[in-house]
Amino acid sequence: MLAAGLSVAVGSKTVPLGEVWSAWLHPDDSYASAVVASRLARTQLGLLAGAALAVAGAVIQGLTRNPLGDPGILGVNAGASASVVLVTAGLGATAGRSVWAAIPGALVAAAVVYLIGSGGPRGRATPVRLVLAGAAISAVLAALVQAVALAQPDVFNSYRFWVVGSLAGRPEGTVGRVLPFVAVGLVFALLLPRSLNALALGDESATALGLRTGRTRALGAASATLLAASAVAAVGPVGFVGLAVPHVVRSFAGSDHRWLLPYCALLGPVLLLGSDVLGRVVARPGEIMVGVVTAFVGAPFLIAAVRQGRAGL
Amino acid sequence: MSATATIRASAPAPAPGPAPGSPAGLNRRAVVVCLLLAVVTVVLGVVTITAGELGIALGDLPAVLAGNGTRAQEWVLLSNRLPRLLVAVGAGAAFAVSGSIFQSVTRNPLGSPDVIGLGAGAAAGAAAATLVAPDVVPVPIGALIGGLAAAAAVLLGAGRGFRAPYRMVVVGIAVGAMALAFVQLVLARTTQQEALQLAAWLNGSLQSRQWSDVATVAVSLLVLLPAALALTRRLQILEMGDDAATGLGVAPSLTRNLAIVVGVALTAAAVTVSGPIAFVALTGPQIARRLTGSSGPGMVAAACTGATVLVAADLLAQHGWWGTQYPVGVLTAGLGGIYLAFLLVHETRRGTA
Repeated sequence: MLAAGLSVAVGSKTVPLGEVWSAWLHPDDSYASAVVASRLARTQLGLLAGAALAVAGAVIQGLTRNPLGDPGILGVNAGASASVVLVTAGLGATAGRSVWAAIPGALVAAAVVYLIGSGGPRGRATPVRLVLAGAAISAVLAALVQAVALAQPDVFNSYRFWVVGSLAGRPEGTVGRVLPFVAVGLVFALLLPRSLNALALGDESATALGLRTGRTRALGAASATLLAASAVAAVGPVGFVGLAVPHVVRSFAGSDHRWLLPYCALLGPVLLLGSDVLGRVVARPGEIMVGVVTAFVGAPFLIAAVRQGRAGL
Repeated sequence: MSATATIRASAPAPAPGPAPGSPAGLNRRAVVVCLLLAVVTVVLGVVTITAGELGIALGDLPAVLAGNGTRAQEWVLLSNRLPRLLVAVGAGAAFAVSGSIFQSVTRNPLGSPDVIGLGAGAAAGAAAATLVAPDVVPVPIGALIGGLAAAAAVLLGAGRGFRAPYRMVVVGIAVGAMALAFVQLVLARTTQQEALQLAAWLNGSLQSRQWSDVATVAVSLLVLLPAALALTRRLQILEMGDDAATGLGVAPSLTRNLAIVVGVALTAAAVTVSGPIAFVALTGPQIARRLTGSSGPGMVAAACTGATVLVAADLLAQHGWWGTQYPVGVLTAGLGGIYLAFLLVHETRRGTA
């Protein structure tokens, strides 16, 4: 709540708090009103995308028993971006704005990264190999995005800012378009906590406890893909939220997924909106795209996770 | 001038210094490979100069080089194509030698400077030098500082230094992400004109290089290549393990530190003139090792391979079938990423990863 309030009240344009309040309650044609309206829109986006990214990260970490899980690091965001850009280049901007455009790329990237990370169909995917595979696939897909974008200047222009990850300048109605997908993804995720807890004990124990591991993985993968793809379609490929938030939550709520997932859904927006506000305040009168800020805030968590030896290195 | 181009193109060629990989000092296969690579590079270079709308016909080339061409031809060659080609040769060599050093120090093909975030660090340093404090710090020095800072961050972040190369790689990915985020931040703070230029450079581009860039990379290589060569034997011994190296009179940490400084400086030099071109540092030394069949850090072979790879990639980027000119970094990122994926699967199969 506080983060959302800040996100509305503080921005790169200085508007007195009183004016913000009145413009919020009684929208008119004033400048302050326009500013507040745009801030409201980006706040809603931040709430959605933050929750989606954080829960996706937690689900991926639970499914793969991999503390380095994050849709950005594992290439899922890159896959979603690539398919958004390809669809836009091929079918036009309207088609490209749909979440449907992001889903196939996210799915394919996730599958390919998993296959490479496990060294072929029969190998075992270690956390580090997955990260490396994610980096490799992200590089290839980023190159693809660049190639398409550079060949079509209009695509380049509309995606130049999106690709960095930003809550600003999204077309109207983005929230409404993305909301159903995030909702379905969250519902899937909320079916999972017990299964993820069982899975944490290892596949054999989980099976012995009566868990159908295949079904859990499929549901989890669907949930994470939906969430990551909708976040990317809405705000661009923002990294590290899915990595950092579950780690923070675990430090105070433990690793029981029944608590972990809801807390992530709450704390993800806090991190994303906080980063967004920070980006607006630091760079006044301009602003720093939120994807840049989350990299600064989130990357140390990756280092910390490695240092604490949770990656099994 | 044709001769100059040839000599320049093959500058990192094998003549001086003993070829690594054999105690006798001369590995015949490595020499042959280097000569072949030099020839390939020259051929690719000539194609680069002659190709395209403004290209100079092969028959005219000697005349233009002798100073008897039309003004347009001379402009194309001397102000446009030749500097670009030479920067590609120099930067390719620098990236690959740096990669060879890091892969040797970390005893891991994935320990190359672009994977562990040094290229991004150097880019951040260069961006800071260009835009935050212009005229205070020269760009190459800024790149060097950025690269060293990234190296330090990776070493400190990993906690255990080089004893855990995989940890280092993951930390490097984080450091690289932060460095790139810093560059984005700088981009957001500058005027659009500057930002556009920097954005093109950020992909790793060889467009509109000048003779000053050629000079930067040539001087760096003149200083750093001999240093790298001098370290080759010690690094090779170090690959047998710290204890063995100490027994043979090679100080492990001193050698490693020296090698890292040389490697970072090479990356910084290359990034300064070409931007952080991805994966040449990763692939160059690996291809060189496969071609020469040697297991050691063959600096000369790596330099030749890197030059060939980058010249070839730039030729493809300029005159590929796609009809647009791409920054060469886009191409190497695509191909290099695929290679990295292959490497991961391959290493996993062998059970070494």
